Amino acid sequence: MAKLPLDVQQALQRQAPKQLRRDFEREIKNKFKNIKDELIKEFLADPVTIEILQGASGSNISGTLGGVSNLFAFIGFDSGEQPISPILQYLENIQLTYKQEIRKRGIGVEFEVSLPTAQDIFAITPLPWATGRSWAEGIERGLSGLGYLLRKDGGRSGAAVQSRVNKVRGGRFQNRPYISALIRKYRKRFEELK
Amino acid sequence: MIEQFQHKLTTSFFLWFDNFLLTKGEAYSNKTGQLYYYEDPRLDSRYLAYGSPYKQWVTDSSIAGATIPTGVSVVGASTSGRDDGVVFDFENGRALFSGTNTSMTVTGEFAVKDFSVYLTNDTEDDLIIENKYVVNSRLPSGPLTYIQPYDDVVPAIFLSVSQAENEPFALGGMQKTKTQAKAVILAEDTYQLDGVISIFMDSVDEVIAAIPMSGYPIDELGDLKDGSFNYTGLADTYEDVTKFCVEKVRTSKLSDRTRNVLANELYVGFIDFDIDQYRYRFQ
Repeated sequence: MAKLPLDVQQALQRQAPKQLRRDFEREIKNKFKNIKDELIKEFLADPVTIEILQGASGSNISGTLGGVSNLFAFIGFDSGEQPISPILQYLENIQLTYKQEIRKRGIGVEFEVSLPTAQDIFAITPLPWATGRSWAEGIERGLSGLGYLLRKDGGRSGAAVQSRVNKVRGGRFQNRPYISALIRKYRKRFEELK
Repeated sequence: MIEQFQHKLTTSFFLWFDNFLLTKGEAYSNKTGQLYYYEDPRLDSRYLAYGSPYKQWVTDSSIAGATIPTGVSVVGASTSGRDDGVVFDFENGRALFSGTNTSMTVTGEFAVKDFSVYLTNDTEDDLIIENKYVVNSRLPSGPLTYIQPYDDVVPAIFLSVSQAENEPFALGGMQKTKTQAKAVILAEDTYQLDGVISIFMDSVDEVIAAIPMSGYPIDELGDLKDGSFNYTGLADTYEDVTKFCVEKVRTSKLSDRTRNVLANELYVGFIDFDIDQYRYRFQ
C-alpha cells in the first residue's frame, strides 16, 4: 500500500482528533455507561450489599456470620442508618471526561474515568464504633464482634436485639472479597475501553 | 517443629513494638521503692517473691534514661544482685530470692513501662468486653503494696498477628508476604491513648529487624537470659537478614458513645499494621 505523504500524515494527526472527538465521545460514552451500569448492578447484587440494605431485620445471606444474625447488627449500625448510600453515591458519580488529543501514539482522543480506589471507598465507610476503621475493609480483612456487643440491650439496631446468650462472636466472622475485587475488576474493564 | 516465618515475625514485631514505644514516647517512669514479700504457690519452692507495686519493668538497656535493675538493696545486707542468686522477674515486677527469710526489707530502683505489652490470641471482643483487668496505675494512690503476678493488667497494649498471605513478586519464586498485625490499646486516659496512637501512626515505612525466637531476651522466670538486653544491639546482629517493612498503619479509637457501655472506665484504641516481607517460601 502506498504510504501517505508526510505533510498529509501531519495534517491528519493535527486535524483528525478535533474532527473525530465528537464521534469518539458519543461512542465511548455509551460503552462507558454500560460498564458503569454493570458495576453498580454488580455492587447492588453482592450478598453483603443486599444484607446490609435489608437492615436490622435481614438475614445473613452473605454467609459471613455462619447464618447467625446479620451484618447490619453485627457491625453495629443504628436502625434507619443507610451505610450503603455513600458507596452507591460514589459509584454513581463516576465520570468520563475528555483528557487530551492523541498524536504521537496513533490518532485519537484520550478520556479519563474517575473510578474511585478501594481506599477511597474505605475512607467513606467508617465503623460506627471506631471511625478510623472501615466496615467495608473489614468485610475483606475481618471484623470483630465489638459493634454487636457494644450495643445496649434493645439497642440501636432496633429489631436485632443483642443477646448475651446467642451473641455473635468476632472469631466467627468469615471475611470475603468485596470492594477491592469489584474495583479491580472494573478498573480493568474501563482500561480496556476503546 | 523448627521455627517458621510466623514465629519469627511475632517475636520481631513484639520486640520492635516495645522498643519503638519506649524510645519514641519515652513511655516509662523510673521508680524507687520497697518490694513486698508475698506467697506465690506457682513459684518454684526454691524462691521467695518480693514484688513491687508495678508490673512489666523495662528490660531494654537501649532506652536512654531507663533504670534497668541489676540489684536490689536489702536492709542488713549489702546490695543483692544476680551473683547473689537474685532473679529479676521483669514481667511480674518482682525480685525472687533464694532461702527462707520472708521478713527482709527490700528496696529497688527500676523503670516501669507506661503500658504493659502482651502478645495475645484473644479476639477484640474478649479483650475489651469479656476480660476483667486489674488497673495497675503508674500513678499510685493509697497504700503501696505488691501487684499480683501473672494476670494481665492495664494500661496495656495487646498485640496479635492476625492474617498473612503470599503474593508472587519476582521470577524465581520470590513472594511478597503480606501480614496484618493488630494492637488493641487499653488506656487510663485520653492523653495516654492519643500518645500511643500518634507514635505508631508515624511508624509507617519503619523497618523491623527479623529476630528469631532464640533472640527473645526473657527466660522462664522472667529474667534476662544474658543478664542484659539491648534491642538496638540485638537488631544490629541481624542486619543482614531481610527485614520486615511497616507498609501501612491505620489508627482509630473506640468512640465515646460506645465506650460508655464498657464496664470499666478504659479508653480503647486500635492500630492496624500491614507488614510486608519479600522472601522465598519456607525461609
